[in-house]
Formats: sequence, C-alpha cells, structure tokens
Amino acid sequence: MSNNNGNLKNPAMINKKGQVGESVTWIVVTILLIVILLVFIYAATALAKVKSLKTDIKANLGDSVDWVSSKTQMAYSISSDNKNKIQEWISQKTEDG
Amino acid sequence: MKRGEQMHKNKKGTDKLLSIYWFVILTLVAGGIIAMVYVFYGPPYDVRGIESEIFAERIADCISQRGFIDQSFFTGGNFNAETGEKFTDKCHFNFNVEEGYGDDGETEYFYEVEFYTLKDLTTPVFSFNDGNVNWKGDCFIKKENGKDYVRLAQCTEKRMYALSKGGGQYLIKILSVIGKSEKNVKQ
Repeated sequence: MSNNNGNLKNPAMINKKGQVGESVTWIVVTILLIVILLVFIYAATALAKVKSLKTDIKANLGDSVDWVSSKTQMAYSISSDNKNKIQEWISQKTEDG
Repeated sequence: MKRGEQMHKNKKGTDKLLSIYWFVILTLVAGGIIAMVYVFYGPPYDVRGIESEIFAERIADCISQRGFIDQSFFTGGNFNAETGEKFTDKCHFNFNVEEGYGDDGETEYFYEVEFYTLKDLTTPVFSFNDGNVNWKGDCFIKKENGKDYVRLAQCTEKRMYALSKGGGQYLIKILSVIGKSEKNVKQ
C-alpha cells in the first residue's frame, strides 16, 4: 500500500482508523436515537396534558333513556296535570357537569 | 497465528458485540414506546362527571319509585325532617370510602335535594343535604376549558317530577358533587 509519494503506510494503522470511524458513527447514531426517543416522550407528555379522554356515559348507553327522566315519565303516566309547567322547570337546569 | 485466522476471530467478536448492541437498542426503543404510551394513556382518568351522574341517579332512585315519592318522606301530611337527616344511611351511601383522603381527610362528596311545589318554583318546601358543603361552591363557577378549572369539583344537577301518595305534585332538584380532584386530575 502506498500514498501519493510512493511511501508505504502501515496497514494496521489504516484498519484502526476505519474501526474508530465506524465506532464514532455507531455512538452518534445511538445518541441521536436516545435524543429522538426523549423528544417523543416529551411530546407525549405535552399532549397528555391537553388530551380529553372523558367518557360520555350517554353515548355508551346508546339509545337508553335517562334514569331520572324515566322516573318523571312514570309520574306523568299517573298525573300529567300542569305538564308544560313541570317540563319547563325541568329543562331549566342551572349546571350540569 | 496466521493473518486470515486472526481476521476470522475478530469478525466473530464484532458480530457478538453487535448483537449485544442491537439488544440494547431494541430495549431502548421498546422502553421508549412503553414510556410514551404510559404517559399518554396512563392514570389519572377524570371519571368524576360519570360518578356524579350515577350518584344523582342513585339519590333519585331512593326518593322516587314508580312515580311516587317514598312514603317515609311524609308524616301527617308534612315532610318528615328525620328522613332527610337519615337519608345517607337510608340509601346506604358511604362517604368514607377513601380514608385520609383529601387535605384533611375531608369528605369528597356532597349532595343536596330540594322539593318544590307548583305554587312556588323558586323556594323549596323541603330540602336536605349531606357531605362536604365546601364543594357546592365549585358548581356555580363558570367553567372554561382551562387548566385552572379542571381541579374544581364535578357537579350534576338532575330535576324530576314525582307525586305523593295523596296525589300532591312535587318537583325535585338533586345536586350531586364529587371532589376527588387529587385522584382524577393530573397534578
């Protein structure tokens, strides 16, 4: 093996340089991987703070009737006097949730 | 040792080292994915809204059945105050489910029941409540989708109509409140 000047170079030295270069590549890639992972974990943490995973009990129950409303309907079947007035009052919910 | 043999041995060593390296990388990636999933989908889940709905429905169930108000609420044509006072026991509600919970081991629940007649829909003729009354105030704060409001108690108001056995028409307002922000909201 010779360089431009025709001088011989030690082949072991060339091998060593190649090995060092390869090791550096692996280390850099590993660090990059860890950094990317940390970025993703940070992003997941940030997204988790704003996520809304509230379950809608009504949606899960499908078309089933509200338990409390069914009681009102039962009472209407006994006496439906002043139904409009009662219904108006029931629909005036001040706060829910 | 010949040069060829030495290179072959070196190759074997490199392969072994690479296998270990890949296992480390795989573990890192798997660990990262587990961490991400845990952080995003992990506890706490805010189930207080559902809990307060169920709580209100259980209260309603204790007051009225088949359209009639429970007979124990009346005595001699008037409302029986004692039933209101013992309502928690009557309905088998247990507020001490999480011992030492909250700032001073305070109760994390509150409920209020108000009975109205059709004559006056603003002033209740009979009412009773139990639990930690401090939570009630949270129900009247106008909530926005902000971080500052998530720690407020969750409230459910249910309104229903029921009759007394004598045919009296009553409108019932149930307010159920769940505190428990420590367990349901991320700190």
